[in-house]
Amino acid sequence: MLAEQMFKAVGKPVPRNEDQRLITGKGRFSDDFSLPGQVWAAMVRSPHPHARIVSIDKAEALKMPGVLAVYIGEDCRDDGLKPIPHSPVPSTKYDMKLRGPGDTEVFAGPNVLLPYDKARHVGEAVAMVVAETLEQAQSGAEQVAIEYEILPWVADSQEAAEPDAPLLWDELPNNVLVDTFFGDAAAADNAFASAAHVVTMKTHIGRVTGVPLEPRAALGHFDPATQRYTIYAGSGGAVRQKQELATTLGVDPQSIRVLSFDVGGNFGTRNRSFVEFGLVLWTSRKLGRPVKFRAERSEAFLTDYQGRDLVTEVSLAIDKDGRFLAMRASNLSNVGARCVSLSPLSKGSGLITGSYDIPVATLHARAVFSNTMPTQAYRSSGRPEVTFAIERLIDKAARELGFDRLELRRRNLVHPEQMPYTNGVGSIYDSGEYEKNMDRVLKLGDFAGFPARRAEAVSRGKLLGLGFANYVESSIGSPKERADLIVRKNLVEVVIGTQPAGQGHETSFAQVTADLLAVPFEQVRITLGDTDIVSAGGGTHSGRSMRHASTVIALGSVDLINKGKALMAHLEDVPLDAVTFEDGFFRVAASNRALSWYELALLAEQDGLPVELQGGLRVRRDNEMHTPVFPNGACLCEIEIDPETGSLDIKRYATVDDVGRCINPLIVHGQTHGGIAQGVGQALWEQCAIDPASGQPLMGSFMDYGMPRFDNMPSFKTEIVEVLSPTNPFGVKAGGEGGTTPAPAVIMSAIDDALAEYGNPPIEMPATPVKIWNAIQDYKKRQKAA
Amino acid sequence: MVMYPTRYHRPKSLEEALKLHAANEEASYLSGGHTLIPALKQRLAKPSDLIDLAVLPGLSGIKLDKNVLSIGATTTHAEVAASPVVRKAIPALAGMVGTIGDRHVRHRGTIGGSVANNDPAADYPSAVLGLGATVVTDRRSIAADDFFVALYETALEPGEIITRIDFPVPDRAGYAKFRSAASRYAVAAVFVAKFGSVVRAAVTGAGSGGVFRLRDLEQALVKDFGPAAVAHCKVDPGAMLEDLVGTSEYRANLVLVMARRALEHLGEAVSYK
Amino acid sequence: MQHITLTVNGNKVSRDVEDETLLVTFLREYLKLTGTHVGCDTTQCGCCVVHLDGKSVKSCTVLAAQAQGGEVTTIEGLAQKDGALHPMQEAFHLLHALQCGYCTPGMIMAAVNLVDTYPEPLTEEIVREQMEGNLCRCTGYHNIVKAILAVAAAKSADKKPALSGVG
Repeated sequence: MLAEQMFKAVGKPVPRNEDQRLITGKGRFSDDFSLPGQVWAAMVRSPHPHARIVSIDKAEALKMPGVLAVYIGEDCRDDGLKPIPHSPVPSTKYDMKLRGPGDTEVFAGPNVLLPYDKARHVGEAVAMVVAETLEQAQSGAEQVAIEYEILPWVADSQEAAEPDAPLLWDELPNNVLVDTFFGDAAAADNAFASAAHVVTMKTHIGRVTGVPLEPRAALGHFDPATQRYTIYAGSGGAVRQKQELATTLGVDPQSIRVLSFDVGGNFGTRNRSFVEFGLVLWTSRKLGRPVKFRAERSEAFLTDYQGRDLVTEVSLAIDKDGRFLAMRASNLSNVGARCVSLSPLSKGSGLITGSYDIPVATLHARAVFSNTMPTQAYRSSGRPEVTFAIERLIDKAARELGFDRLELRRRNLVHPEQMPYTNGVGSIYDSGEYEKNMDRVLKLGDFAGFPARRAEAVSRGKLLGLGFANYVESSIGSPKERADLIVRKNLVEVVIGTQPAGQGHETSFAQVTADLLAVPFEQVRITLGDTDIVSAGGGTHSGRSMRHASTVIALGSVDLINKGKALMAHLEDVPLDAVTFEDGFFRVAASNRALSWYELALLAEQDGLPVELQGGLRVRRDNEMHTPVFPNGACLCEIEIDPETGSLDIKRYATVDDVGRCINPLIVHGQTHGGIAQGVGQALWEQCAIDPASGQPLMGSFMDYGMPRFDNMPSFKTEIVEVLSPTNPFGVKAGGEGGTTPAPAVIMSAIDDALAEYGNPPIEMPATPVKIWNAIQDYKKRQKAA
Repeated sequence: MVMYPTRYHRPKSLEEALKLHAANEEASYLSGGHTLIPALKQRLAKPSDLIDLAVLPGLSGIKLDKNVLSIGATTTHAEVAASPVVRKAIPALAGMVGTIGDRHVRHRGTIGGSVANNDPAADYPSAVLGLGATVVTDRRSIAADDFFVALYETALEPGEIITRIDFPVPDRAGYAKFRSAASRYAVAAVFVAKFGSVVRAAVTGAGSGGVFRLRDLEQALVKDFGPAAVAHCKVDPGAMLEDLVGTSEYRANLVLVMARRALEHLGEAVSYK
Repeated sequence: MQHITLTVNGNKVSRDVEDETLLVTFLREYLKLTGTHVGCDTTQCGCCVVHLDGKSVKSCTVLAAQAQGGEVTTIEGLAQKDGALHPMQEAFHLLHALQCGYCTPGMIMAAVNLVDTYPEPLTEEIVREQMEGNLCRCTGYHNIVKAILAVAAAKSADKKPALSGVG
């Protein structure tokens, strides 16, 4: 663990370096780039949820003004394009090991750029039209004539898992691609059989979509002179995109340059390559012109990778004193038409027991194909779902068995003395003070004042409910990271392979570097996003970035200081142990000789240095870290309901988050705020609804997809707690996803509490006013009938 | 998406605008553009010509003459909402207009455009019908009761241009709206107005045929103009819109709740979500 | 074709464009002022907000031709002549009212217009109500509200905004 006294920048709420360009309109988002001679792509998308492609007639489209080409699946296949290598099965050391039915390899369903057999979801791209202008490309796309043979379809995951459901992939006997059992079934059976109480709940955490405000866009270009491809496209990791595109195109990764500069929000949606990215590169070479694609918002709603969609059935075995004895869970994840990422199912699987000491747990984890847009990781991938399941189950247990819901939680929390704690499915929680989090949030949210606030609401004819949830979540992420630390003329440059979309890496990584190298924060520059400079890196997802970056930068700093010392020793002709590094200066002991980083860097450029000291004052450091960390916290909210209309108003929202060491509290609080909004959005407004009669997605725009907005979100009370993780030098856990993780649970807990006098009706998210009102009416009708 | 190619015109007079429309079968008028342009961007229509009425002199402005408040067709929502004349004469109208869309939409959207479009969830139709206004066009005057024909359909003839809307000033009026979380349009909204012994109550957002008068409530309010009158009214769910935002029963309920709240907040507009 | 002449950020500009060209397209693709962004297709997100003749408007829903002869200010034109940031830009920076930055130009332009033209003193409730035409997916709105209120308070007290804040 690093010494606290070295921290001058770390821990401070430093305003961000990246702001200057973003607040003056000088950001560089994907659509901001144009190249001379560029042409435009428009996609033709399947209107059917499931259909065989019988024929595609390009003739009329090719006649349209400005249209240069029309590409279909056969063209991709004939040119030898490969499917996108999504690698959907999480496979780091500590990931839960998901397997196919009968312990087989998981069949993911290949993602070719354009299909030639069938369309498997509404919106699947089946052709691409390229024209001189965007309008011409769109008009051309309208003229592509496709004959489909409509096939039976299935959208709901439970229906899709039935043996006789319409089959998406002939390679499998049914749509179930993952079927794995974790835990000790016999022990669970014993515990359940002998328990005083058993409580069960089944719920569906529905489908939402990330809605980053920047629609995805890509500009592809092939230079015949250098035989290199260049793509401007925001993503969740430029290096990963480069590898994926290289595999798809069948070329050496070094022949591709990915430029991912400012990214307008990610939240997981951009972690995997989109078909349009490979297509613009491939077609730019065929046409000899740069090709640009940018998604409409309606295309983003339809074909951004979506999130969540988990059906979960959970049971708790409880003894007479309220101690949790065992837990059973059965989780069914809807991956969509093909499997792009099993992260949600996998990450959630490791955390089904939540913050609680439940000695025995079993999980039946399944994933199923359906005729819907593929899902992948979305803000806290998998953890809000399982947190929802355990927290709502505990609320239910408390209510049914007559326990106080906070007391029942306290009685079962994992204690700090138990850390590192191995939970019932094998996850090893590194550190945390869960009960202290509870105490803090009850204070922060003025739990004691709730009864008075409720009475006041009632006097105005309203209901007021209080919601509570604990959470623990995990950050694993791609295990490898690389940092280049380069001392330049008057600044230190760090090249790193993370990919921020608003998390402030240019600032927080500079804070870390500044303190490690004892240079002023203002003299550190972070370089990201250009794969000609960034040679390796894991991208940004799952809260991995600060932990991996700070660690590899810390290790690299040691290397750099050592190189500096060796250089100094050589230049001053003294033994190595006569050189010290202190306060940013390299000194020769017992002399006045001292050189700053920049003076030493200048000297490092000279000729005649021994081989091991050549190359300038710079180092490259790789690191691989598999050990996960477990951010955790507690959350409280109050919701006022108008029983006449079902309208809801969040009056209070307080959260305590243990993020391990907090590098920049300004940034971390901001992450919590945004994370809360996304979780609340799922609970109250967001849903990728599908018409059960036709299989058509119903939420194609902001007119239908409700969002957190200025006037439906409250201000928050957020508190950061720093229980340092013993797993990395800075003690970092993660701060990006803890806001989201408990949010759906705490909102539904509050609504449930508000509606207690109406019989605690089960309400599925999103809890819209009409659902609230209907539940109240149903209760009144039942009372009348009784 | 990108709009289909079209031709844009800045007519210098009403006559020129009418001539341009007559000469081009597929022409559309343009005012604030905040209904038409989004539709064109969805490629839902392909007008050959766009004739910009917002540039015409004399179609904008607010005037109070005795008991008639006249609002020019190209007056923006922001101008109406902020107008001291409207706020004094019919504060519920000013308040209502201040809830249309958002600030930026209100800087461009116009009363003429909104009324001519007759969106079943738009606010203005409920005020026009609720106040018994007169829609004045280039060729005639149309009473509100005759103006709103069906969903997105009005009594306007092809090419006919609204020049102003004359609102009789009521003794009292109120507006209450329940908005959809996503679209922010009305799920159910009621504009109620009293003119001596005449009461009008118009509902938008809820009816399957568009804006309509709640006759039941009007009669009850003539006897007793106040929130208590709502208790005697019923709304037929069968006449309500049904979608993911609200079932027909829910809308029927909301209509009465909004009616009551409009009566509890006379002289202003209240908005819920 | 339309011959469009506008004053943009104080400079007179003229271009020949297709009749149906949106103001946001004119700014981004013809003038290469890419600070104004497009985030949706239903005139709801506010990423495209600029000032047209002193009013905040959604430039994705205004034809360049409709703006003919007008004065447009974009995010690129907001800073003072000497390069100093506008107080709203300063406040967004110091109070961390932006993360990915995509909604930020439209957000700042909307906020400036709100503070400059709203006839009554701004409260949290009024700010939240009047900013509903702008979406943000990253910040949860909390810090944006703080930034706007700080600038409004300073404006009414006629001094520099008090800008520090964590949490």
